Amino acid sequence: MSGENILSLIDLHVSADSTPILKGVSINFEKNKVHAIVGPNGSGKSTIAKAIMGFPDYKVTRGDILYKGESILDKTITERARMGIALAFQNPPVIKGVKLDKFICKICRDCQRASDNRSGRHLGEADKCTPDLTDGFRKLLIENLKDRDINDGFSGGEIRRSELFQVISLKPEVMILDEPDSGLDYDSLKLVGRTLKEIRDAGKTTMIIITHSRYILEYLEADKVFIIDKGRKVFDGDKSILPQLEEFGYKEFLNRNKLR
Amino acid sequence: MADKKELAFKAKDKKSPIGADIDLNVFKSEIRETSSESDIKQIAVEERRIMENVGVNPEEKKTAGIYVQIDQNRVFYNSLTQKAEILPIKEAIEKYEWLKDYYWNAVNVDADKYTSAVELELHNGYFIRARRGQRIREPVQACLMLKTGNIKQNIHNIIIVEENAELHLVTGCVSPNILEPALHLGITEFYVKKNAKLTFTMIHRWGKRTLVRPRSAAIVEEGGVFINNYIILSDVGDLQTYPTVYLKGENSKAELYSVIYGTGKSIYDVGGRIILEAEGAKGKIVSRTIGADESIIYARGHLIGKRSGCRAHLECNGLLLSDKSRLTAIPELEAETTGVELSHEATIGKIEQEQLTYLMSRGLSEEEANSLIVRGFMTINVPDLPPTLQKTVDDAIRLTKLSGF
Ligand SMILES: Nc1ncnc2c1ncn2[C@@H]1O[C@H](COP(=O)(O)OP(=O)(O)OP(=O)(O)O)[C@@H](O)[C@H]1O
Ligand SMILES: [Mg+2]
Repeated sequence: MSGENILSLIDLHVSADSTPILKGVSINFEKNKVHAIVGPNGSGKSTIAKAIMGFPDYKVTRGDILYKGESILDKTITERARMGIALAFQNPPVIKGVKLDKFICKICRDCQRASDNRSGRHLGEADKCTPDLTDGFRKLLIENLKDRDINDGFSGGEIRRSELFQVISLKPEVMILDEPDSGLDYDSLKLVGRTLKEIRDAGKTTMIIITHSRYILEYLEADKVFIIDKGRKVFDGDKSILPQLEEFGYKEFLNRNKLR
Repeated sequence: MADKKELAFKAKDKKSPIGADIDLNVFKSEIRETSSESDIKQIAVEERRIMENVGVNPEEKKTAGIYVQIDQNRVFYNSLTQKAEILPIKEAIEKYEWLKDYYWNAVNVDADKYTSAVELELHNGYFIRARRGQRIREPVQACLMLKTGNIKQNIHNIIIVEENAELHLVTGCVSPNILEPALHLGITEFYVKKNAKLTFTMIHRWGKRTLVRPRSAAIVEEGGVFINNYIILSDVGDLQTYPTVYLKGENSKAELYSVIYGTGKSIYDVGGRIILEAEGAKGKIVSRTIGADESIIYARGHLIGKRSGCRAHLECNGLLLSDKSRLTAIPELEAETTGVELSHEATIGKIEQEQLTYLMSRGLSEEEANSLIVRGFMTINVPDLPPTLQKTVDDAIRLTKLSGF
């Protein structure tokens, strides 16, 4: 059953502000599979995502992160992004004066290919975007955000969709989505679910989804489910545990199922 | 005008309350006959290139007229429409007796030694008038170029937008990177008549040792709109300016925007003052200052509400890029009666690591991320600016070589 591992966390220890947050997490992410990371609030899920992406404030104090078999600990965020790792942020910062559509155009893989000289392009120029991109705004029902400063006054649901759209535009090999479904209304949830499902079905992207809800994981038919608690991986299973997890909650569930 | 000369003479040593005192005597006068011609083609190629740096392009098809002054006495001007009149101020004074009512009316001749110096030794300047009822959408362009080292350039401009007229004026003040010091003194008086509208965009690009002391003021009548957009993205020796707008007419409006990108060891002291004297007057001052290298920037703003039922807002945002740079925001609000609504917001910050992380995670290098944040911070959308002018402003910002990372 085990396929090729594209990304592996090996005994990962991470501290922020000299506070240990992750205390030895080992997880293998298989190529083009859907992985879920779940666990109580404050257990360290977002920290895993940030450590993989290489946030400077999150120091790896022990262990390793392997991407395609090689350690990426000495790679910058930029390098990791360009190697094909992308993260949809849970709480992205506002970037004043930078319009979302221009920005997506700048970062989008297809647009970059379309323009021969990337460094010669500046933001603010009438960048030519692929029709796909324009289409994306429409599909995700965020056309109203096109002309707005990035994340400035975006509603929670708008942030989710804008983040998803950006990550999709990057065409990453590993897509980490930090709560892509939180705060979405029913319609938006369906929309995001369908979009993610399309990516899954295309079978060319490894997905790591951090979430608190059962719905999206079942809909996407998550291949693997990992439970994080207090900075450790405490359970390793598949989507069949989700109904139980929802019924009992983490504490009770973990009491009944000792870590395998 | 004899009494003006007298007043000027009395003020010739009067220091300005703000800004370092400049010894005017070290700057020479040019010995060259005044020349003025309308054939813009006579401007040298090299000079045109310098002009383009500040958004002035005489070949631009969509322009309503142009005034170019190089150093003290070389002037080119050309009005391409009957709707506006453009003249060198020296000729305008000769031509129109009534102009004396406007000359030193908004700005006091004895305000300080700089206003005095311009009255005592006038080199030239422009007179631009949009005729009554004419709405001129194409911008009028002006360029004041200071090319020669060690000289002074004393300028007096008057802009009149007559009743129901509309004018968009862009003025580029530029000095190619001469190493010697030079002095630019510029008086500008704006008159926006009843229901008229003026947008004034000024782009400065000076030499490292240019000293600059503009003195300007605007008088806005009933229903008039004055929008001032000031951009300096280059080194300068020492610049100090504090334009004042008098909103004299009911429901008149003024908005002052400025973007200052401080580099080198330059000193920028840029203010904006709006005096709301009539009911329904509305004012807004927005400034964005970016401190790189060892630059020192003061962003001043002053709102004075004199009549109830007037409203104004002041917004100063600073972004510090270097530990050696210094930003100071000095907002002042003054209400002289009840029923005045004044507010302000001032912030000074730096680029947040969180923002860099975010942009880098999208594949931008740290440098690209920094410059995107800075360019974004500098972006101000000025209302009512014709698209060609907005593009001029955007281009100026885009083409700025950002330093400080
Ligand atoms: N920069 C930091 N400095 C100190 N503590 C931090 C820092 N970042 C995160 N933490 C702490 O680390 C713990 C794990 O945080 P993390 O954001 O990874 O949790 P999470 O599992 O994503 O939670 P949630 O479900 O609420 O999103 C929390 O207790 C949090 O307060
Ligand atoms: Mg989280």
